[in-house]
Amino acid sequence: MAVESINIHPLDKHLRVDRIPTLYCPGCGIGITLGAMLRALDKRINEGLIDPNKIVWVGGIGCSARTVFYVRYDAAHVLHGRAIAFATGVVLANPELLVIVVGGDGDIAGIGGNHFIHAARRNIDIIVVMITNFVYAMTGGQVAPTTPRGVKTTTTPMGNPEPPLNAIKLVLALNANYAARASVTTPHYIENFFYKALGIKGFRFIEVISTCPEIYGRHIGLRDPVEMYNELKKRVKYKPKPSIEDADIDWEKGIIIGEFLERNNPSYLELLRGVYGK
Amino acid sequence: MISREHGKFRVTVIVDRCKECGLCIAICPVKVLVRSSIENKYGYRPPEPSDIEKCIGCKLCEYNCPDFAIFVEKVV
Repeated sequence: MAVESINIHPLDKHLRVDRIPTLYCPGCGIGITLGAMLRALDKRINEGLIDPNKIVWVGGIGCSARTVFYVRYDAAHVLHGRAIAFATGVVLANPELLVIVVGGDGDIAGIGGNHFIHAARRNIDIIVVMITNFVYAMTGGQVAPTTPRGVKTTTTPMGNPEPPLNAIKLVLALNANYAARASVTTPHYIENFFYKALGIKGFRFIEVISTCPEIYGRHIGLRDPVEMYNELKKRVKYKPKPSIEDADIDWEKGIIIGEFLERNNPSYLELLRGVYGK
Repeated sequence: MISREHGKFRVTVIVDRCKECGLCIAICPVKVLVRSSIENKYGYRPPEPSDIEKCIGCKLCEYNCPDFAIFVEKVV
């Protein structure tokens, strides 16, 4: 049997191994996302671009936000939806810190939607990784703002009548510097996009389409992790330079992944320095 | 911990972290892994690199494991 206190896995130096195994259901995509993010972070640390002692992870409430429990860095677990608000405070108090916000679609686009909009508008120097599983999974599968139309959830037993919110389109309309979408079926893209995001300034947003076999899979009839993974893999397509219309998420027509936005707008810290001259 | 190797690559499974989701077994392009008959302390059956001779070192199992339970190394 494995001895958990020593580092075995190549990523163990970034993880709090005493808290592993994670609380996620078998086959949950959040672990894949976390692994890909840590690989990108590891590369940047080895390049000497990032000081591992100056990283802060912030998570709100939800399955995805709990990733901050498992990383061996300073982390804050804050109120539901207020992860971006907290991260804004961190980066303004100490601009040297690299702030990474991880959350689910319910935490970032739903309850924290207003903070999300205004952080993107002000181009605050944080990285936001939103792990989308299309429902509020931790509370039992209620309808979320990102749930596609027609999907049966716990609170919409006749199918969801509402059109979903598209976080990528929202960010494209605002003043952010980077927006990309990846999927857990393509962990290399998560790694590449996160690696790129770590090297630029301003508001950086990465949406990761995740599998949730236990809650979302139950509603759409894909309970088995492998079945749901393969079903998502069939629908995900990479496009080198996707347009705004490609950002639509349609479970039937397919989901386009890629880098939707790359800008070099002045970040909030630069704008502040411009005003206060420091 | 189950560790198997051939001339080029070593595949290691950290038994107690596995949750038996089966992603590594399904994702492996050359079908190195099979579900083993042993149970870990949580009652899950971890994968076992039975056909290790076939391993091409693509690391897809490592990248797609949600629980940091499997990894591939180059044998030096």
